[in-house]
Amino acid sequence: MKSGLVGFGILASLLAVTVITPLFAPFDVVRQWSNVDYWQDNPRWAAPEWVHYFTGRKDPTNTFFDPSTFRSVVTRTTTILPDGTTFNLTTVEASKKFFWDFDDFPSELSAYVTASFPGATPNVTGQSPFIVINWTRPDKQVINLVTRSIPGREQNVTTTYHFSSSTGAAQGVIRKIQNWVVREGVIPEPIVNNASVQPHVALFAQNDSAQLDPARSAHLLRGTYQLVVRYTGFGLTDTMSIGLKIYGTVFGLAGTDDQRRDLMTGLLWGAPVALAFGVAAAVVVVLIQTVLGAISGWYGGGIDEAIQRSAEVFLIIPILPILIIIQLVFHRPGIVAILFVVVAFGIVGSTTKVVRSIVLQIREEQFVEAAQSYGASRLRILFRYIMPRVMPYAFALVALSVPAFIFLEASLSFLGLGDPTLPTWGATLGNAYNGSALYYGYWWWVAFPTLGIVYTAIGFSLLGYAFDKVINPRLREE
Amino acid sequence: MGLVRHLAKRGVLLIVTVIFAIYLTVLIANGGGYIDDLLKGQIAFDLHAQLNNDRAYRLLPPEDQARIFNETYAARIEARGLNQPFLERTFTYTVDALTLQLGRSQALTSTDGSHSVALIIGERLPRTLILFTTSTAIGAVLGIWLGLRMARKALSIFDRGSTIASVTTNVVPPWVFGIFFLLLFAYYVPVFPPFGWIGAPAPPAGSGAWYLDVGWHMILPMLAFIVASFGAWSYTTRNLVLQIMDEDFVSAARARGLPERIVLRKYVFRAASPAIVTSLALALIVSWQGAIITETIFQYEGIGQLFFEAIVAFDAPVVIALTAIYAYLLGGTVFLLEVIYSYLDPRVRALNR
Repeated sequence: MKSGLVGFGILASLLAVTVITPLFAPFDVVRQWSNVDYWQDNPRWAAPEWVHYFTGRKDPTNTFFDPSTFRSVVTRTTTILPDGTTFNLTTVEASKKFFWDFDDFPSELSAYVTASFPGATPNVTGQSPFIVINWTRPDKQVINLVTRSIPGREQNVTTTYHFSSSTGAAQGVIRKIQNWVVREGVIPEPIVNNASVQPHVALFAQNDSAQLDPARSAHLLRGTYQLVVRYTGFGLTDTMSIGLKIYGTVFGLAGTDDQRRDLMTGLLWGAPVALAFGVAAAVVVVLIQTVLGAISGWYGGGIDEAIQRSAEVFLIIPILPILIIIQLVFHRPGIVAILFVVVAFGIVGSTTKVVRSIVLQIREEQFVEAAQSYGASRLRILFRYIMPRVMPYAFALVALSVPAFIFLEASLSFLGLGDPTLPTWGATLGNAYNGSALYYGYWWWVAFPTLGIVYTAIGFSLLGYAFDKVINPRLREE
Repeated sequence: MGLVRHLAKRGVLLIVTVIFAIYLTVLIANGGGYIDDLLKGQIAFDLHAQLNNDRAYRLLPPEDQARIFNETYAARIEARGLNQPFLERTFTYTVDALTLQLGRSQALTSTDGSHSVALIIGERLPRTLILFTTSTAIGAVLGIWLGLRMARKALSIFDRGSTIASVTTNVVPPWVFGIFFLLLFAYYVPVFPPFGWIGAPAPPAGSGAWYLDVGWHMILPMLAFIVASFGAWSYTTRNLVLQIMDEDFVSAARARGLPERIVLRKYVFRAASPAIVTSLALALIVSWQGAIITETIFQYEGIGQLFFEAIVAFDAPVVIALTAIYAYLLGGTVFLLEVIYSYLDPRVRALNR
């Protein structure tokens, strides 16, 4: 019976997850699942944070500096020019010093600037504010990242400057960093291109030719870095704020995927979806098949023939291709529709045949004969005498068929044809496969959803096995 | 006489089953007629795009434009047979499938570019046959062997451990193991090829290197399939054998002092073999469908992948042909088993009375 207890424990833990999940990750998060903006502050392809217990390496986590953490000095002056006009000037110098203490390069880097210059009139030359962003390294080198005037349309709009090529950094920024690398004599000019010098790596790397190799083999330069921004505006009420986002390479308990989504959220929500779908499908399908199987075995004759032959027809037609066709034709109508199709094509099937053979045995027994002798109707005998004897088998069959339905939904989602709004385990696996997670070694993206499905399936399988032992005394351990 | 009548009746019923299954497939593969509308829409759209690129056409008066459009559209609809009512066509499709006139595909082609469904399937079939027949056979032999050992040492630690291993692995489909094996043995420790049924460039067909390469590509999918399938064999064999061991004729054999080995081989296993052979035959047939997801994961271009490609391309003739072949194979096998059973086991006749 131990296996049954283990199975029960597994299912109990999944139920607990189902109950707890909404507290951790409210359903709102699920609705944001396909919304790219919602996840933009997470690193991309980040491993789980706890890997450092195994590697012993201190992997960078997200290091974000809000505008409020920047030290900023504002000066405002008004000069009266010889011709009598006034010349207003606001300069803001904001800087942030931080110590890079991690053992690896960050995955991305960006700064976001919000400027407001209500006094300036953009159509007068020289009135457009001016911004310079510099990067000071521990080796006292200074790299100019941005030098530009802020166009009027960016007034009060947060502008993000990306400093990594993977996130679409402006060519100008990439060029500036690469030119600096060349100027330092690290790399001969002709070799420089986007692939050979990763901007966010160059900013944090020691100046040696190791940079030419892919990101991982460049040598990290540990120490105090500083981001300095100089803003020059031509009004008296100008304001400017800057924030810095340094993305890590590790995140959360289960890492992230290619769209920066926290996989833990997806994994947690996978449990209720898998449980609900698997159990609902199994209960409905097995119950319908059981009743039809019992009718088939009890009434016999033409009804029996009709039910058994249709069961054979339905057994020939595979359900997965049907679901694929329906999902394609009706543009992925959602998980409830999938459930309906599964039920519609599972009205008769293997359970019908199993239950029929059980009923054929039961109907020869004396208590059925006794019931007939005192004039019970056939329908009454079926539902009051035979069905109660069949139900234990039905329970076992429900438990045993849940994994099949869970994997059916997972297969469909893996192909990208599941419910488009839900973060199911199968969909996560499919994304991982199509996102070349295997090739790049993003193991967390593959391993956790797989383990989730397998864990659930094993729970039901052990429970079904325990049921099986109870009903078939021969399998009993004693 | 009774036997022949019984078999004839079963045969007719099986044929009716196959016909119904194929007709249902025809309906489903065409999306209940819905795919017709999609195809018609596509044809109209393509025609519009094509004609509007034609300068001479655009200069024509609107009524001429409409006439040309309608005529060409009607011709194209007719070329694809879409002008006949859908229900009528389902019967033609069914009759064609039943007579194994597989016809021409609508979108998919063989590697040579042929649209002949028979050629397309013929190209893929050997790959699926060799992969899944081998895997099924190894999985079954391994499982049956394990099941016999479990039954002999029933209730020991070994038996309990193997039982748990069997019931837990057999609910997990092969593709889940496949993805794990790929992660471990094709990428993390790159021992086996991560995809395909043969390397590129392929060694000359038929050479020793070619066979080795094909075999090399088969190992991971095979492993995944075997791990996922042996459990069902070992668990059912164990239970079957234990059940037979309880029977009187086995006790009688033991009472005569026959060694346990002989009892197992000559009495128990012989009694168990019909059921096992039936399962094996059916498992082989089922495996020849290929496996959509497993083949997709290993990018193994077999029948399963073809099935998926055909569905995605709404290529009904290919889907129908695959189902028809499979339905015939399954029906034929079931009938064959029925014949064998009827000869061997008089109880079957009694049961089917």
